[in-house]
Formats: sequence, C-alpha cells, structure tokens
Amino acid sequence: MKKQRNKNEFLYFALRNVKLLIGFSVILLFLITGLVGPLLAGNEPFAYVNPLGPQPPSAEYWFGTTFFGQDVFSQFAHGLQATFLVGILGGGIGTIIGILIGFVAGYRGGIVDEILNVFTNIVLVIPTLAVLLIIAAYFEVRSIFSESLFIGITAWPWAARAIRAQTFSLRTRDFVDLARMSGMKPLKIIFQEIAPNMMSYLVMTFILQFGGAILNAATLDFIGLGPTNAISLGLMMQHAVNWGALQLGHWWWFIPPGLAITAIVGALYTMNVGLDEVFNPKLRET
Amino acid sequence: MRSYFGRKFLIYGLTFFLAVTIDWMIPRFMPGDPITNMLANFSVSSTNSNAYAEMRAYYTQLFGLDLPLWQQYLNFWKSLFHGDLGISTSQFPTSVAAVLLRAVPYDIFLLVPGILLSWYAGNKFGAFAARSRWLDNTISPLGYILTATPYMWLGILLAWFFGIVLGIFPIAGAYSFNIVKPTLSFSFIRNLLWHWFLPFASLFLVGFGGQAIGMRNLIIYEIEADYSRYLEALGAPTRLIRKYAFRNAILPQITGLALSLGVVVAGALVTEVVFSYPGIGYQLLAAIQGQDYFLIQGCFLFIIIGVLLANFIIDITYIMIDPRTRRGMTGETA
Amino acid sequence: MANRMRVLLALVLLTVFAVGCSQATTTVVPATEKTTEKPVEAATEKPAEEPVEEVPSAPETFERSETLYVSGAAWGPPSTWNPFQPGNLANTTGTIGFVYEFLYSYDPLAGEFTPWLAENGEWTDDTTFEVTLREGLAWSDGEPLTAADVKYTFELGQQYSALWFSPVWNYLTGVDAVDDTHVTFTFDDPLYQEWDNYLYSLPIVPQHLWEGRSEEDITTGANENPVGSGAYLYQSHAEDRNIWTRNENWWGNDVFGTPAPKNIVDIRTSSNNVALGMVLKGELDLSNNFLPGVAALSNQYVQTYYPQAPYMLSANTAVLFLNTTKAPMDDAAFRRALAFAIDTPSIVNVAYAQLVKAASPTGLLPSMQQYDDQDVLAKLGYEFDTDKAKQMLAAAGYVDTDGDGLVEAPDGSKIELKVTCPSGWTDWMAAIDIIATSAQAAGINIKAETPDYGAWNTELQGGTFDMTLNNWAIMSNTPWNLYNLLFRHPIQDQMQSGNFGRYDNQEIFDLVDALAKVKATDDEGMKAACADIQELMLTEMPMIPLWYNGLWAQWSTSTWQNWPTEDSENQTLPTTWSGYWQMGGLMTLINLEPVPPAE
Repeated sequence: MKKQRNKNEFLYFALRNVKLLIGFSVILLFLITGLVGPLLAGNEPFAYVNPLGPQPPSAEYWFGTTFFGQDVFSQFAHGLQATFLVGILGGGIGTIIGILIGFVAGYRGGIVDEILNVFTNIVLVIPTLAVLLIIAAYFEVRSIFSESLFIGITAWPWAARAIRAQTFSLRTRDFVDLARMSGMKPLKIIFQEIAPNMMSYLVMTFILQFGGAILNAATLDFIGLGPTNAISLGLMMQHAVNWGALQLGHWWWFIPPGLAITAIVGALYTMNVGLDEVFNPKLRET
Repeated sequence: MRSYFGRKFLIYGLTFFLAVTIDWMIPRFMPGDPITNMLANFSVSSTNSNAYAEMRAYYTQLFGLDLPLWQQYLNFWKSLFHGDLGISTSQFPTSVAAVLLRAVPYDIFLLVPGILLSWYAGNKFGAFAARSRWLDNTISPLGYILTATPYMWLGILLAWFFGIVLGIFPIAGAYSFNIVKPTLSFSFIRNLLWHWFLPFASLFLVGFGGQAIGMRNLIIYEIEADYSRYLEALGAPTRLIRKYAFRNAILPQITGLALSLGVVVAGALVTEVVFSYPGIGYQLLAAIQGQDYFLIQGCFLFIIIGVLLANFIIDITYIMIDPRTRRGMTGETA
Repeated sequence: MANRMRVLLALVLLTVFAVGCSQATTTVVPATEKTTEKPVEAATEKPAEEPVEEVPSAPETFERSETLYVSGAAWGPPSTWNPFQPGNLANTTGTIGFVYEFLYSYDPLAGEFTPWLAENGEWTDDTTFEVTLREGLAWSDGEPLTAADVKYTFELGQQYSALWFSPVWNYLTGVDAVDDTHVTFTFDDPLYQEWDNYLYSLPIVPQHLWEGRSEEDITTGANENPVGSGAYLYQSHAEDRNIWTRNENWWGNDVFGTPAPKNIVDIRTSSNNVALGMVLKGELDLSNNFLPGVAALSNQYVQTYYPQAPYMLSANTAVLFLNTTKAPMDDAAFRRALAFAIDTPSIVNVAYAQLVKAASPTGLLPSMQQYDDQDVLAKLGYEFDTDKAKQMLAAAGYVDTDGDGLVEAPDGSKIELKVTCPSGWTDWMAAIDIIATSAQAAGINIKAETPDYGAWNTELQGGTFDMTLNNWAIMSNTPWNLYNLLFRHPIQDQMQSGNFGRYDNQEIFDLVDALAKVKATDDEGMKAACADIQELMLTEMPMIPLWYNGLWAQWSTSTWQNWPTEDSENQTLPTTWSGYWQMGGLMTLINLEPVPPAE
C-alpha cells in the first residue's frame, strides 16, 4: 500500500490540499495568537484591570472583561498557550507510549502481542475520564505538565491499536524479511525499516492524540480538576459558569474559549483528513 | 466462537479485577484523611478536642479503616459481592448503593437514547453524505465541528441560548420544584422530558457528528475498495455498490461504538454537571467536592460495570450481525 | 428489525420534540409575567391550550401563593433528619428549627434571648439554673412535651460521648425534672457563655420515641420521618429538595403567630449560578446563596437587607491565620506589619464587588461591636497603609539586602511565604490574590496558592501552612465564640477547630477562659474581659481579621412581602441556613405576608 515515494510528490499534493491548508492555517492562527497575544494584551491574566467589572468587548479590552474586571483576551491568549502545551505534551506522551507498545506488539507477535493486546484492551475499556478524575484528585497542587502526563498515560491505547495493526501488516513485507535475514536487530528493523514506512500513520496518530488531549484537558479543567494556579481555556469556561456568566449574559467570557477549542480540534481533524488524502492517492479528490 | 468468548471474558474479568483494585485504593491513598475531612464539616463551635477524638475513633471504626490493609481489601471484595459499597460520608448515613440507585435511572434515560439515536442518525447521515460532493461539503464540516466541540461547551451554549436567551427550556434539575411528588401522570412525564431535552441534545449532537464522520469515511474507503471497483466494472448499479459499502462499513461502526463508550460516558458526566442533571456524573462531582471517597469509589465502580456491560452487549450484537465471528475470528478491526 | 427500529426511533424523536415545543410555548408566559399574573395561574404552569386535561384528585403542583421557594442552605442531597448530626443537617435545614425546637431562641441583631420552649429561665445561684417550660407544649404526634423530655435529651450527652454536646457534662453535674414544667440544672464551675449557647442550639427530642433506640441510631441514624414539636412538618424530600408543610396544630401559633407559607420547598442548587438563574426568573422567593452579581440586580429583580453596599448583613469573620511556629510569622513585629500591608479595601471592592464589609481589627461582628474596646482600637488598630507597613518592617530589621525589592529577615535569610485557600472557592481565591499582591507591594514575598480542599484541610489542621483564611465561628450570642476559635487551647498535633496558627500564649488562653466564665448578665464584666483579650491580640497579632462574610440573602417580593430590611419594623435574620432558624429565621417566616393578587 505504501511504497517509497518521491517526497516532492507529497509536497505537491499537500500544498494543493484545501483541507490540509485550511486546518493548518487555523492552527497557525491560534498558535500565533497564543504566542503574541500575551504581549498585545498588556495585562496579566488575573490582574483586576477594569474597575467597572464585567464589560463587553471594547477597543481597550478586545474580548471584554470578566466579572472581576480581568482582561478576557489576556486570559484567552495565555489559555491558548496552555492548550497547545497540553496538546503537544499529552498528545506526544500518548503517541510515544502507543508507538512503543504498538511496535513491540505488532512486530514481536505471539505471546508478547497477546499480553500487550489484553493490557491495551483493558485500558481501553476503562473510561478515561473516570481514571483521570481520580488521578487528578490525588494531586493536591496540579500543573499543566502533570495534567499532560495524566492525559498522555491514559490516552495511548487508541494509538497502540492502530500502530499495532499497521506494524502487523508491514512485518511480513519483503523488505522487512530481507532486513531480518541480513541479521538486523529487531529494534533497528522497527525504527529503520518499519517506522519510516508508516510515518504518515504516525503523524496522523499524533494529530488525533493532540486533539484528544486538548478535549480531555478542557473536561478536567471544567470539572475543577485542572491545573491549580494557572489559566487555561477549560478553566475560563469553568470560571465563567461559576460566576453566572450565562445567567448575567456575559457571553464574551464563555464563547471565546469554547470556540477556540472547537476550532483547534476541528482544524486538527480536518488536517488529518487532508493528510490522509495526501498520503493515500485513492482518496484524493479528482 | 468459544475462543472468541473466552478471550473477551478474560479481558473483561481482568479489567474488572484491576478496576476494583484501583477503586479500593481511592479512599485509602487519597491526600488527607476521609474521616478528618468529614468531621471538618461538622462545624460545631463548642466541640472540644476530647469529643472530637471520640467522634473520630467512632467513625474510623464504623468505616473499617482501623483494620490491616490486606483485610480491608478482602472485606472490600466480600462486601462488593453483597452489593455493599459502604456509606457515603457527604450524605451520611445513606449507603453508597442507595445514592447510586437513585442516580442510575437518570443516566440510562440520558445515555441509552443519546448513544443509540446519535449512532443511528449519524450513520444515516454519514452514508448520505458520501453520496455526492455537494452533500459531503455541507454535512462533513458540520460533523467535524460537532465532534470537535467539547461536550460542556455545547451544553453551555444550548443552556445559554435555549434556557436563558429564549427561556424555553429549563437548564437545571430533573423536574420542576412545584411538583408535589413524582407520579406516573402525563404532566409529570412531560415535565421530566422537558428537563431532559437539553442535556440529551448536547450528548446527541456531539455523538452524531463523530458517527457521521466515521461512516462517511468508511463508505468512501469501501467505495474505493477493489470489490467495489470490480462491481462497477461489471456494470452493477451504484445503488447496489453503496448498499454493499454500507453493509461493510456498519461493522466497524459497531466496534467503534463500543470503543467510544468511554468518551460518551465522560461526555455525560460533564453534561450532567452543566445541567445539574442528577445522574452519576453529578454525584461524582459532588463526591469529589465533598471529599466523599466512598461515593467516588461507588461511582467509579458503577461506571466501569456499566461500560463493561455495554461492551458485552455490543459484542453479542456484533456476533449476531457478522457471520465471520461465529467461525472463530476475533472481533478486531483496524 | 431495521424497520421496526426506525419507526421506534422516529416515535421517540417526535415525542421529544413535541414535548419540547409544547412546553416551550407555555412556559414563556409564567416566566415573564409571574409578577403581574394571578398567582394561581402562574403557579401551575399548565399549558393553556390543553384544557381537556383531566383534573387529578390530589393537586400535582403546589399552589404558588401558599408556597415559599428558598435555596442556599443545602449543599448536598438530604440524607439525615437526626437533630444530633450537625454537619450533614445543613442539607435538611429545618430539621432543627422547624421540627425540633430549643429552650430559647437568640436574636443576634438585638443581642437578646427569647424564651421558646422555656417560658422562663434563671440562675438561682452561681451553680443552679432553673427552667420553667411553657404550658401546653406538644409533639406533633399529640403527646405532651414535658420536663422529662428536656432531661432525657441532655442526659443523652452524658451517656454517649460521640454526641457533639457531650462536653457540656464537663461542668454540668445533673438535670432534674422537678415536675412536668420545671427543670433544674446543677453545675460545677460552669462556662456561662457556652451554656447560653447550648440553650438555643441543643434541640429537644421526644423521649417516648427515642427511648428504645440503639446508640448507633441515636448518634448516627438517619431518623427518617422525624417527629418534633415545631412549626413545620416533614413532607417529603428528593435529591435536590426538602419539602416542609405547616404544622396547623403547632403550640406556638398562639404565642408567636402562624408562619405564612403553607409549604416550604427548600431547594438545593448544585451551584450558585443556578440559584442566580432561578432568582432572575422569579422561581425563588429567598436565595441565601452567595450571588456575585447581585449588587447589579438589587432593587430591580431582588431586594436585599441594605438597598446599597454592603447589601448584606455580616455573618462571620474571615480571618487570616498566621502559622506562628514558622519564621518570620513567629515575630509579632512582622505580623503587625503584615496587617498594615494587606489591601482589604480591594478585597471588599474587587473580590466581592462591595457585598462585604471590612472587619473590625478585633474580629467581632457588627452585632457584637459593643464589645470592641475603642481605646484599644485607637491605640492598636490597623488599616491598609503600604508605607506604614514598610516603615514597620524596616524598624523591625526586615530590609531588602539583595536589591530584589523584597525584604529579607533580620538574619539575612530570604522570605518566601504562601497564602492559601481551597481551590474552587472563587471569592477567597480572588481575596488571597489581593493579599499576595498587596504584601508584595510592601516588600513581603507572599504567593497565593490554592490546593484542593482535602489538602488544604490537612495543612490547616496539621499546622503546615504559612498563612491561610478561615471563618469557622458562626454568629452567636457571645464574643467568646470567636475568641474560642482564635485561641483554642491546648495546642495539639492536630488543631481541628481553631487556633490553626498554633499561637501558644498562656496569658491569652487564661483571658479567654476568664471570658467564658463571665455571666451573660454581667455586661461590664464581658466588656472588660474582651478589652483584655483585644489588647493582647492586637499587640501580638497572631492572626489578622480581614472582612465579614455576608449573610447572603436576596429575595423577591412577587409572592411574599414584609421581609426584614434596614428600615423595616421587624428586625430578624432573612436566612434559611442551618443553625439560623432559632436565630430569627423562623420569625422572618412568621412575619411574612402573601402579596395580594393584583387586580
């Protein structure tokens, strides 16, 4: 299915794939907002800057101010940073664990596969959020890093399953057999022969894990088990709801964070479809 | 088929064992002492230290926390099989089992229609979307947006728009406060459904998006598959090819449903929090806030058992639908 | 199969939409026109276009004009009606006050005791207290309430040490029922101030129903379907509500008057914002939730005790406890400087949007302010003054030696402190942010941190925190209550109910003990005892009282009127909180009047 192909060919299709471009642009837009926004906002996310309290968006406060007169845009921009951080770290950890387990299970097969598979299925069945709630409650002071870690170590089974299946199908290919006969070490075969041939798969797995981590983090934050002493998009929504933003009509407080999460995760999914089309010629739009 | 079931049972059994063990650890290894936290709520200004120590000892003994750990573990399994999940500290002296039994009907009421309807409608629309570029370009983005939406945000939006701006749906509780007592009358059931609608809708919409996307992608894959091309070359009508594609795509969608259960349950938990809907999720959050470790324990266990059961039901359905599994193939897709 | 399923699904969907729509069209009306429409129509919320609906024999919904909807007391589902379970009773507020009653009630606004079950009570000598019960007291099952019930109730505390009031027997030596209406209590060196507290906080239970119960039943049983002597009867409960109905045969109808609402639906909202939504829709008559935005809504949607800031009466004092076992909080000069460094005005104006008042440096509530010693306050009081704080720090040897803008301890070591409150307590989180920021401005390196409640509680009681907020002394009859919290002694490993900073000073302990033994009638003696405590407290500053949390109360006058306000004739507490029914909450209900239907 996946043969060595000219890299330029991928690039050619990638640059012409609307889905990929749209997804990428949206991510880039939010990433830049997250990086530059805090400088533009000028206010600390928790500083009580507006003595009037909750005010709708204005030239001075682009996204308005919270119940306490804090700058929503500043919180939003800082929150975006947290969101990307959780996505990259949480998604990264999930992907790495998934890759390790998937490769080993898929390549070794037999009893190792059997055991890892049972293990994967167990972790898969246990609802992630319930476990996350409990792990999160264990830690009295939580940071974005610890949150990413928890999310990563509970999210890998999806990745492991997919990668295992791919490895399984690649394992019996001629070039892998050749490598094996030439006396290559299994680890070397995995990383030199198999991994490069499913790079597209790995990238797509990471993207999905990235999005999943963001959604999981938002859920944890919203429930009140997010990072303590920090700001994130999920925490913004939690604060907004707790301080009656719905009832008092402070829409500018809860719309931007949710919209940003939806847009980022949606863009990731769209990118994924785009990538799939780039790598898989059958799916390319004619 | 026997080996297939054997495998599944092994996995379920191990999962259950592991889950119960993790579950048992919750109150024992959590920060702070559950009894201390419980007594901290007894804000009696005149409680002197002596009385406090007495009360502490009394409750510790009551909850069996003074036994050696291994014995506590064995006792936990023993009482589990008697349906005894301990006593809730935040709702003392109500038993955890009683609290859960009160909450479960609301979850079933929310989750079963939410899952089934979103699965059904999502698959219909997904297959429909794969039909043409035009449909695909309208339904697919909608699906992606819905499935990318965090459950609580969709809930917040629905609550805000329908509950606050338009004011046509209630946004908290399971039935109105002016009802004398729940009866099976028409007006009560209508009131119940009225409160149920928004939480249900937010679960439904997110699930719908995910299922529609999944189905659409599967169908596209199937239509591009060799057998479809072959049929096409033979001059078979498009309708027929689509029918085959749908049949083949529905199987992985069933497995997908089983795998997404955890996500839906998590979604229900936050949705219940947004709408103050008195199911397990709502109880779980209250338990966490109230440091009620025994109730957290019960909620966790109940969620696990629920998800395992649902998985099991889906497995059986799968076997009934897919003849290949009857001949001993494992139900793995991917 | 597929077809059948499709039909079923279609049906379900249809019903759902039909229900949604029919409700949609009918409820807009009552929600918006509740105030003008006839209460009867507004209450039932039945769709106007379905007149064919059968009229059920029993009413399915409460009559709006006879029902009081309240919230803000219960924080969890109702689970116990045992009057001796003070903690969880908050969720069935009314169990004590509505169902079970007390010898006395106490009015914290006037500072007066009102005989309740008792007709009269007096100290016949220093160690004997005699109570005369009213004639005609009765339990709701018809049995008479007599002196024997009072004796039985107090003696339960002697028998079972797990009951919260058992420490009264440290100085109570005997209870004697002389006849049906006379009880004599005898003491050995009584704590008069505490005894007065028991008079209005220990609920009397019926001996004839409790006698046969086991220890476990009495101490921890749920006591479902409680039978008491009070103005309301238990009707039913659900996850999110307690429903009480008026006791038409209440003995007090002739003495105090009949409470106006026939039904009381006490609603437990999962969070304050839900209560806020209900207040805005007119679905709540009285909300005792902390509703952050209420200042903007006051006088428009809702009424409050004061029509302007602080809107609310004060209920308890938020105190910053300093851990005096750690440096530099072990230095009184540092502690006093810190008191000047904290920007309390911003806490009041920003964190609370003016819903609270800054506290007196003595920590006593406004209702207790006759016990504030003005001379001590003039000499030792503190207020927010960053420059003064800097001067005081410098004078005590705290100077910035490494040029980072933050002071070092006199021995040259760096100061890094944390101020904490439980995560999720948003108003307090905002407050500790302000504490940290203003302390930094004065050069003291303090950072705000918010651990989970369990961790916070462990740190609080175990004494491992640096500085933290606490407000556990509720409104009461005596300043001793607050000082007992602040200077609880002896110092132990775990400090569960006060003196969390482990301030160890026998001199002040003796002063607090002395206050406990002053008779309530000896006003001058109490003032003198308080002045001594305050002078030492403000010199040493082991903890810093900052602001008063409010007695959150906002009500609507669409169905019920004659609520207590600043200017009203009846001065009672507008609250449903557990423990407050006997502090004026019930009198508020008795004073209520239905709003006549608009014609």
